[in-house]
Amino acid sequence: MAALSLSASAAEALVLGLTTGPVCLASCGPVVLPWMLVQPQGVRPHSRQLFLFLAARLAGYLVFAAAVWLLGASLPRTWTGRSWLFGAIELLLAAALVFYAAGWPLRRCTVAKPVDRADRLVQIGDAPHPRPTGALALGFLTGINLCPPFLVAGLRAAQLTHLSAALLFFVFFFAGTAIWFLPFLSLGFLQRTPAIVTVARMVAVLLACWYGFSGVSILIERTVYG
Amino acid sequence: MRTRVLSILAYTGAALMLVVAACVPFKLMGIFSNGVAHAGLHIDAKFTGGTIARTIERSGYKIVVYQLVEPRLLDRSEPFVQLVFEPADSLPRRVSQEIDLDGDGQPDVRVSFNLPSDPNAPMRGDVTALNGKYVSLTHVGGESFSRMVVRTGNQIVVRVPLNKEWARR
Amino acid sequence: MASRSSVLQRPAAFRSPAYRSVARSVLLTLPIALWSLLMFTRSFRHAGRNLHIGAVLVIFFMTALFFLMMRTGETYRWRRIFFVALGFLFPVGFIAALIAERGTMSIPISRMVSGDTPYCPMVTPFILLPAAFGRTIIFPGSIVSSAGHPHAIAEMIGLWFAFTLVLGKAWCSYACFFGGIEEGFAAFPKRRRLHRFVTKYGEILRLIPWAILVFVVLVSAAIFEPVYCMWLCPFKTVTEFPAVRNLETAIQFGVFVTLFVGLVVVLPLLTKKRTQCGFFCPFGAFQSLFNKINLFEIRINREKCVDCTLCQTTCPTVALSKDSIHEGKTLLNCMKCGACVDVCKKDAAVWHLKGTPVAVKPERARLLFLYGAWALATMFGGSILAGSLAAIIGFLPWR
Repeated sequence: MAALSLSASAAEALVLGLTTGPVCLASCGPVVLPWMLVQPQGVRPHSRQLFLFLAARLAGYLVFAAAVWLLGASLPRTWTGRSWLFGAIELLLAAALVFYAAGWPLRRCTVAKPVDRADRLVQIGDAPHPRPTGALALGFLTGINLCPPFLVAGLRAAQLTHLSAALLFFVFFFAGTAIWFLPFLSLGFLQRTPAIVTVARMVAVLLACWYGFSGVSILIERTVYG
Repeated sequence: MRTRVLSILAYTGAALMLVVAACVPFKLMGIFSNGVAHAGLHIDAKFTGGTIARTIERSGYKIVVYQLVEPRLLDRSEPFVQLVFEPADSLPRRVSQEIDLDGDGQPDVRVSFNLPSDPNAPMRGDVTALNGKYVSLTHVGGESFSRMVVRTGNQIVVRVPLNKEWARR
Repeated sequence: MASRSSVLQRPAAFRSPAYRSVARSVLLTLPIALWSLLMFTRSFRHAGRNLHIGAVLVIFFMTALFFLMMRTGETYRWRRIFFVALGFLFPVGFIAALIAERGTMSIPISRMVSGDTPYCPMVTPFILLPAAFGRTIIFPGSIVSSAGHPHAIAEMIGLWFAFTLVLGKAWCSYACFFGGIEEGFAAFPKRRRLHRFVTKYGEILRLIPWAILVFVVLVSAAIFEPVYCMWLCPFKTVTEFPAVRNLETAIQFGVFVTLFVGLVVVLPLLTKKRTQCGFFCPFGAFQSLFNKINLFEIRINREKCVDCTLCQTTCPTVALSKDSIHEGKTLLNCMKCGACVDVCKKDAAVWHLKGTPVAVKPERARLLFLYGAWALATMFGGSILAGSLAAIIGFLPWR
């Protein structure tokens, strides 16, 4: 009976993840896409980076799952607390985007001297090195970014009897959403055009500005209105 | 030979473009416009207020209650319910109505506003929530797409935001 | 830009009396004159006296400019006169209509709710994803035109699509009613300042509109709002903008004004480039995609080119690079304004019809392109000019 109940929850979580995957893609995709495009080209490097990203995202999911279960789902219902968390996460996401995807401010902003034509439009700054901390940071931050399907899953998980059930619920929910990220492995063909990589960096900066502005707006609203 | 064929095709294409340009004001623009108009598209409910749920008749005017409009995807704006009082010309100077928004038979909000004599004058109103489901608004005009008491043409449009805590349930 | 002396330095074929004869020029201009008459008698048949005066002026204006294009063999200089006039007069007519109708340039939220917001074609790329996947238009307008709702979405998208079929990216040189403002400011200074900066970073500057396009498309689709219109359009400053009712809308207005002053006024004055068009406008990047399928382009004849890079320096949107000149082509963001063709002292930069040999009868390609472009410019831009002139003549709303 317990096994039946558990498998039913797992199926429910998987279906929930699959159906809300597009929303997750809309939420996390704009972060992942420009960042992936500035990683070294090739299926193997992309696989490694994507794996790290998804693993960190799963870690974020599990942290949230444990939090909602332990607090008895009071975290989502406390609107004021959630808003502060929203704001802080978005500011951190903005900083992570700028640091890992755009490569500022640690790298010098120079146009690379043209070695050959392909290099001319390649990057703002030096060539990126594969940094596992980038995947982990971005993955974790998007993992705890409280988007609507995530909250739905959280409320559902909070109703489960055991902590292990809540964690398992989120593992299957994560699996359902992660399937939608698999096409990112095939981004290598886009990287052959250096201009696309440069545009990706610029998009990352713009998204960072957006998240930063959004985060500041939320925090100001909380500060002013409580 | 290949060059000749390509050139013929190119000049034919260019001539067609001239014909297309000449047809734009007469037929072409109309065809494209009709195509878009009949593509089954609709303006987002955040701007239009959504679909009509029911109509409440009053003496001389009616109150149209719309379905709840919830934010889409990652939009963080508030969910709201739109009310339309029409025709505005038939409304009394002072309107204060208790209205059931969700159709459960119990009044949910009291909407109050004074109708300016000048239709172009800005107006403000109050919405008092009678339960925890909706948010009270005080002296509101056109604050946002989810909070407003405004006049558009011969209608008074009121948008009452849903309490987000309630929306999460 | 090309001066009288540079024209006289052209090869003999272009300076022969028969080539630039008045008779030939009149003959070539005749279709445009007839088209202009047709357009304005059709559109303004029941219009008032001021609009009739405006229409007559525009007929002469457009016909005269086309005649001069034929007579001198130059395109850019005369096209620019029309385009700058359009850029400066459109806001005049538009603002006059707004003031007459509601006494303010700001658009109150009640107008947006009632579907009264006129649709601008620049919104088109940002509404595509929600329209395609959700059948939802994320713009507070009306889909179909009516008496109370002109400039509806279907009509403006239909117009945009028809124009793009014929013009491609040349929309930015012959149809856009905003680009002329910065082209006008760019024409004022005699010297280019910041020239080295633009040359050195031109390759990166040219990519910014693409980044803004991707960013705005993604975020608009995510939050179901036209982000560019709400936050980034500089031309809200000279048309209409959401009424300032709280801190958020005040910030929006501040952004609009800052972008307008910076990108449309100051930077064009400093660089003599169309900085908003070339280095910011995401709609321009979107239109660039249609250059891939458009039949007309500008090519560089490598046999005549001496790599002086005068074309690259002159191009208002940095649509030429050393690499592209070596390859004999312009870049994807070429808006076919003709500046490079007119300035080239060796006639290496030429108009070209795809599929035909390069530099073989380029004048034919130029003519074929100009007839289509000028016909559409007369129809659309010309009617805007006529309306604005009518407003100026009589201080009346133009529609």
